[in-house]
Amino acid sequence: MNTIHIFLLILAGIYFALRWGLPRGEQKATVYLRYLLLSMAAALILSPFVWLVCAVFKDKDVLMQYTFLPPLSQWSLDTINLDNFVALFSGEDTVEGKVYFWEYVINSLFLASASTTISLFFASMGGYALAKYQFNGRKAIMAFMVGSMMFPGMLFLAPVYKMIFSFGWMDTYLALLVPGACSVFGMFLFRQALMGVPDSLIEAARIDGANELYIYLRIVMPLVRPMTGAFCLITFLGNWNSFIGPQVFIQTQSKLPLPVVLNQYIGVYTQQYGVFLAGTLIAIIPPAVLFFSLQKEFVAGLTSGAVKG
Amino acid sequence: MKAGKKGPLAPWLFLGPYLVLTGIFFIYPFLNSIWLSFHQTNGPRSSVYVGLSNFAFVLGDPAFFTAVKNTTIYTIVSVTVQLPLSLGLAMLLNSGKGRVRNVFRLILFSPHLVGQIFVGILFAVIFTPRYGLFNIGLQELIAWGLEERWLANPSLVMPALIVVSMWMYVGFNMIYFLAALQNVDQGLLDAARVDGASSWQTFWHVTLPQIKPVAIFVVVMSTIGSYQLFELPYALLGGNGPNNSGLTIVGYLYSTAFETGDLGTGAAIGWLLALIIFVISTIQIKIARVE
Amino acid sequence: MNYPYGKAAFLLLLIAIVSGSAHTYFSLGRQVERPDLVMAIFAPNHEEAYREVLGEFEREHGVKVQLQLVSQRALQSRLQSSLLTGADVPDLVELIGGSMGYFSRGPLEDVGFVDMTDRLHQEGIYSRMVESRFSLWSSRGRIFALPHDLHPVALCYRRDLIKELGIDVSSLKTWADFVAMGQSVVRDMDGDGNPDRYALDAPLNNTAINILLLQRGQQLFNENGEVVFDTELTAQTIAWYINQTFGAKRIGYEAGWGQGLTKAMNDGLVLFYFCPDWRTKQFEMDMPNQKGQLALMPLPAWEAGGRRTSSWGGTGLAITKASRKQDLAWKLAKFLYIKKEDLSSRFEGTNIIPPLKEAWEMPAFDKPDPFYGGQAIGRLYTDLAKETPPSYVSPYSNLAGTKLTEVFLDGVEYIKSRGEEGLEESILNNLKVKADYVREVLNRNVFLRKTKVGGS
Repeated sequence: MNTIHIFLLILAGIYFALRWGLPRGEQKATVYLRYLLLSMAAALILSPFVWLVCAVFKDKDVLMQYTFLPPLSQWSLDTINLDNFVALFSGEDTVEGKVYFWEYVINSLFLASASTTISLFFASMGGYALAKYQFNGRKAIMAFMVGSMMFPGMLFLAPVYKMIFSFGWMDTYLALLVPGACSVFGMFLFRQALMGVPDSLIEAARIDGANELYIYLRIVMPLVRPMTGAFCLITFLGNWNSFIGPQVFIQTQSKLPLPVVLNQYIGVYTQQYGVFLAGTLIAIIPPAVLFFSLQKEFVAGLTSGAVKG
Repeated sequence: MKAGKKGPLAPWLFLGPYLVLTGIFFIYPFLNSIWLSFHQTNGPRSSVYVGLSNFAFVLGDPAFFTAVKNTTIYTIVSVTVQLPLSLGLAMLLNSGKGRVRNVFRLILFSPHLVGQIFVGILFAVIFTPRYGLFNIGLQELIAWGLEERWLANPSLVMPALIVVSMWMYVGFNMIYFLAALQNVDQGLLDAARVDGASSWQTFWHVTLPQIKPVAIFVVVMSTIGSYQLFELPYALLGGNGPNNSGLTIVGYLYSTAFETGDLGTGAAIGWLLALIIFVISTIQIKIARVE
Repeated sequence: MNYPYGKAAFLLLLIAIVSGSAHTYFSLGRQVERPDLVMAIFAPNHEEAYREVLGEFEREHGVKVQLQLVSQRALQSRLQSSLLTGADVPDLVELIGGSMGYFSRGPLEDVGFVDMTDRLHQEGIYSRMVESRFSLWSSRGRIFALPHDLHPVALCYRRDLIKELGIDVSSLKTWADFVAMGQSVVRDMDGDGNPDRYALDAPLNNTAINILLLQRGQQLFNENGEVVFDTELTAQTIAWYINQTFGAKRIGYEAGWGQGLTKAMNDGLVLFYFCPDWRTKQFEMDMPNQKGQLALMPLPAWEAGGRRTSSWGGTGLAITKASRKQDLAWKLAKFLYIKKEDLSSRFEGTNIIPPLKEAWEMPAFDKPDPFYGGQAIGRLYTDLAKETPPSYVSPYSNLAGTKLTEVFLDGVEYIKSRGEEGLEESILNNLKVKADYVREVLNRNVFLRKTKVGGS
């Protein structure tokens, strides 16, 4: 029996109190139970984050000594400080001079947003073709697309590497932006969403003399705004956290995105966990901000697309 | 493009980028990998044709079977434990409204924002025996687990992996289910209640069939994704785990192709994996269609 | 403002443009002239040490040398890929011990690094170094990299705790002595059922087993690349190790790395740690509060008068065949690795002793180290250095290591379920099975095919 057990017992007690103590107690108790369960799930999910935030401010010597934070009596500059951030931001010496952390952040921002934008364009175009046109080979292409998703990307790493080298794209962002520029998953999502656009609209536009590109850009695409939002966020997230591609293709330190850079802090012989965790914390912020502000669009998008399975 | 006419050219132009990119970055490596799987190579100059020997070796290699076993167990648990959990959470969230619900939704989804590499290393520290958050928490709750070496004990590696993956993906799948639940016809639900059905019956006979398309989608995607698991165990265990307990099929591919340098056998493994995924997905879809 | 394609898409496009411009702006500010030589390194302390002396080399030869610091795993994968495709490679690369096996898995002519054997002999460098060390960097008798170090292994311990317990480390001459001492100090001090003091830091994988096997002269592969680890000696060593970690009278506990290790050291959870020269500096940097409390002693021998050290890790310098300035690269390699004045100051910075025997005469190696309570750790390691065992590599070294760990873990299962009776025999049988597996994999390599399954 310890504090946690007692706490749990109290929570259970409240449930029963509500259920039997109040009029229409059963309903209230159910609502209480629902939020209780959700809160417990949320607490479990959040605990590693809480630990992360605490760890980032703890001095590296005491990282393991206190589970979360030291008791107030032990707070001092020896135990709680910003050393990890100082190390993170102080810049690394490389052959090209000092490289600062925020440059890596910019690299990540660029790579993720650029590849998402390109992907958006190509995937929606592909999805539109599959959704709104009848043509020979459509079924074949879709079957091919599904089949292609079953292959592990690792299988193609070596031949793709050879190609990138022969194109002269080694150590450039082209190597990261081009190969993955059209996601099959995205095409399926857009196909789902675009199938919901009434054909009559498109026909009417054609009758009015609009060309196909115009129809796609100005009439059809704005109608699937939610799916666009959802796709953008998912793809951005995937690209933001992408690791193997940059690791293999980028060689200049100043061009590296965050995942590769932070992984460098965990080496074979030395591990700077505090700095790594500080970097991780910062790396979580942009996606978190994006999601937080665009939550509604995201869920609406998934609703429109995936629901029709 | 002919203005004003649905020319047969239009769809192909729209698919153009996909076709070009696929042609260059998929077809060529695809063919190359087939060629590789029948050869032993060392760099661009040396290669020897070995027929089916790469495949024969893999199919007889105990490490391959460990990888298949691990990956399959992981997938099965992911689908049968994680997805119901996601669904459950979605149902809990579904009844709520407004701000509070959005906050919970964000919180439960947030682990997905962290990349696999980061999660792996973060949890490697959290699983430290004796001093790590997980062990201490477990000890407080159920008075067991302080000394358990989650990442060094072969029988505990898979549970640890599953715990981490649940943390990462429960919220993600929940969002899909939430979206699906919101499309459930309220009228039908009300009718069921009026007819006196219990909540379990309502769930089983009304809700579930309505979210079936999404559920199938999530199950198939989950399966395919789980079979391709690699970065998470690799970052968490710093390799393949003790006694290959954290070895996944893609991990086995990676070890063979890039650590031992045997690209030919690596290609063979990749093809076998594709075959496995294909068979399983087909079975799943057939079952789903039949229901 | 109306967002025709949704807020998200618009926002992302904006971010892409802004960050892209920022990135371009910064890259333009970084123009670097093409250097004469490019050298890739993964150890930050090496990079610092080389940077200090590089100016002299550049002036002497009128060239520009670029040092690239790359994380070890990235370096490994990049090298693998670039050597495979003939892509851009650095002129010189510092490799991690064991990796030469990977790079030499094909025909000898295909090894991407310059064969240094003849140069080493002709210029007399070979005999000036500890010869056994070249084994780590050779394949089929040809040497492909210059060894940076020897990494002899000692035991590091908490001087204060040992004194408190009344232990005299000079009496710990053999492992039998050590185990006896260990059994007397293992104790559960706070009554929670878990001992709180162990004698030996014992990793639960093949790390320490490798160290012990090398100490006994037992290799995984011989100089012909044949699998040789399925011997009684190996079985006996693994059985011994299992007894120390899971037996009834165990003395070993895995302190781990990083934060776990720091806590174990500070709490006195584990008393003795396997400590090669590089780890002494790591301890110093990670645990400054232990200053003056730590000390070193040679490994206990297996039999009286036996070898009292082993080897753990290593770095070597290789020149890529693709380099267009191989002679200049060779000069740089010698400049960095074979000047005893530099080597002695490098020792002061990293505690790593060089394999160049004449360097050990320098006074720096006799200097008392304040972190280790005034002990002249340089001299301790150079004394041990002469006995550094050879360490043969193979492309299948990693695989063999994994198999050894499997044998260890299987043995742990055995002792947990059936006790110590028959442990060694079961290990020996298991070793034979695993060794045959490695032989089978090795035989599949058409470029190296040599050995038969069932023993060399």
